[in-house]
Amino acid sequence: MPASWGEYSPISTPLNRRAFLGKSLATAAAFPTLAAFLDACSSSPTTAAPSSSAFTVASPANPVTWPISSTNPAIADNLVPEQNATINIYTYTSYLDPAALKSFEKKYAKYNVKCLITTFESTSEAIGKIRSGGIQADIYNPSYDQMGRMVKGDLIQPLNHTYISNISNVWPSFTNPFYDQEWRYSVPYTVYTTGIVWRTDKVSEDVAARTNPYDVFWDPQYSKRLSVLDDYRTAMGLVAMRAGWDINTADPTQIAGMHEQLTKMNQATSPKVNVTDYQDIPTKVVDMCQAWSGDAFNMVSYMPTGQSPDVLRYWFPTDPHNGEVDNDMLVLLKMSKYPVMAHLFMNHMLDYKVARANFMFTGYQMPQTLITPSNLVSDGTIPKNLASVVVEESLFTKGQRLLELPPAVDAQWQAIWSQFKAGA
Amino acid sequence: MRRRRFLWVALATPGVLWLLLLFVFPFYVVLSLAFGTLDPLFLSPVPIWNPMHWIPDQFTYVLSHLAGAAGFYGPAILRTFAYVFIASVGCLLIAYPVAYYVSRFGGKRKGMLLVLLIAPFWISYMMRMLAWVNLLQIDGWINKVLSFGGIFNVHIAWLDGRPSTVILGLIYGYIPYMILPLYAGLDRIENSLLEAARDLGASRLSTFRRVTLPMSKSAVVASLLLVTLPMVGDYFTNDLLSASPSTAMFGNLINTAIEADSQVGKGAALLIIMFVVLLAPMLYYVRMTEKAEGGAV
Repeated sequence: MPASWGEYSPISTPLNRRAFLGKSLATAAAFPTLAAFLDACSSSPTTAAPSSSAFTVASPANPVTWPISSTNPAIADNLVPEQNATINIYTYTSYLDPAALKSFEKKYAKYNVKCLITTFESTSEAIGKIRSGGIQADIYNPSYDQMGRMVKGDLIQPLNHTYISNISNVWPSFTNPFYDQEWRYSVPYTVYTTGIVWRTDKVSEDVAARTNPYDVFWDPQYSKRLSVLDDYRTAMGLVAMRAGWDINTADPTQIAGMHEQLTKMNQATSPKVNVTDYQDIPTKVVDMCQAWSGDAFNMVSYMPTGQSPDVLRYWFPTDPHNGEVDNDMLVLLKMSKYPVMAHLFMNHMLDYKVARANFMFTGYQMPQTLITPSNLVSDGTIPKNLASVVVEESLFTKGQRLLELPPAVDAQWQAIWSQFKAGA
Repeated sequence: MRRRRFLWVALATPGVLWLLLLFVFPFYVVLSLAFGTLDPLFLSPVPIWNPMHWIPDQFTYVLSHLAGAAGFYGPAILRTFAYVFIASVGCLLIAYPVAYYVSRFGGKRKGMLLVLLIAPFWISYMMRMLAWVNLLQIDGWINKVLSFGGIFNVHIAWLDGRPSTVILGLIYGYIPYMILPLYAGLDRIENSLLEAARDLGASRLSTFRRVTLPMSKSAVVASLLLVTLPMVGDYFTNDLLSASPSTAMFGNLINTAIEADSQVGKGAALLIIMFVVLLAPMLYYVRMTEKAEGGAV
């Protein structure tokens, strides 16, 4: 009987000031208990992680052989692959050919192996989830600038090379890369450059003919017609390269200079900041953009029906000293439940046929000796107008590499990037 | 008596648990992050659970960058209020007549009209926004329609990072949330009251102005709150329809901070500030409802 409900309703009794204060105090008293409980539950990364003072930056001038701890050894030789394993590969969206998973499952069908892909948006997010145990994965797909943190943070395990015979298919320089000498913890995955893409039907000038093509991002005639990559290292690297600085600069004056130039870029051209350039260029949302070579190649397949990809151009410096070249890799997570099968999966991805198909699917070249860069254009794999997306092995000795930044410097870069994206 | 009291406690328990688990606890985590520190190697946020040990550095950083020469957060926050104000008014101007029509003139088709109104809910917000991305492209249907079959040469770059497109997206995305509570409020107004006003000589317009509008005030406020609060925290609409820092909103500030390890604590501080700002209209609504209930008694 609704009329009588109010009589007993708990909300009908007003909370007087005394009662309110009493309940507030009780709540306040409960907080330390909750805090103690949460403290007990947390893994307290501050105590677990090594300090930043022990940080080692690998670079071509300072190659690093990461130590192998006796508490984190590689698996033994000749182990039988795990039965009924489900290999979880933690990677970017659309960065692994599903056919490669199917062929792996087929190849090891007698072990009833299944493959699973879990995706992340950024490696920051990925590392966070791996550290917190928020994800259970076997193989992780980062770029090499995370190597030191992953080894020191004890997130990955060393590889047993006897399971990865297909490493012989890989460019020789990647069997002993500066970021992981003796490829103790990683195998290479993709290689790419970072350059500028434009449409000749929308941009009348030859951007490549400019003295400094990076200037286009500050040229008001392209206001609201550009985009830069939503990746603070890559976008800020563009600013550094325009000025002729090291893309890993820790110099406070240069870092302040990058901040100033980003603000000027916002004022001059107000670029979009995203990673959908491979769609935005074909659909004319932007006319020009900063792009990874793999995405530039992908644009061909995103061109609307009836429109020719001949209008696409990709510029990467003819002098690669002022251009960015990078690679991604596959690492075996320490948390892997199926390390033997995970080794075999890495080996599978280095198989020439699998690698070639994966390249065609993702648009990102794999550093395979049988994928001859000079033939990619002549055999029609890559259109002539995009010939510059081809990544040659020699670029890796000349181009600028994104290196791991010391944590304090990295925090400065991230703070500047936040300010840029706030559009102030 | 004791049994009845037990019944009320039992009924309240799920709601209280819900609030504790999905509001109080997450909010405490946010506080612990905002007043927490950073992992020295990974730069990832390290929450400090004990309030006695909280470090205010990240919070004071955000506060000191809200306004003034170093106030890079300020423009985005002001921009957000401007966008949300225009979008909310836009929603109201569109939703009120629609809800009024359905409640007063829907007749037997009320049910069908309501189903049509909630139809957009069947499709995810992301899909709806992606549809707009297609429609608004230079070669998209919006420009084709505006060119009247090719008579005019229309090449408007809707997606080049303009505020009007972001506001359009906000209106489109949130308008169903406004129509439904407005309809519910308008439908509750007794026809006899409107008839009485007309019998007493009031014109249609006067009846609307002096009876319908005042009686739907709480529905208008409730529906405004329903769209305004999520709009303030929205980052997705801007990301998809603009992606330009020049249209970055409050939600984008938080999202950008969360994406960069070392900035997560600052993102948490921004979230707390947003929470405090949004508390004001919420409290106004609660007070207004209490007043209305008091008046009714």
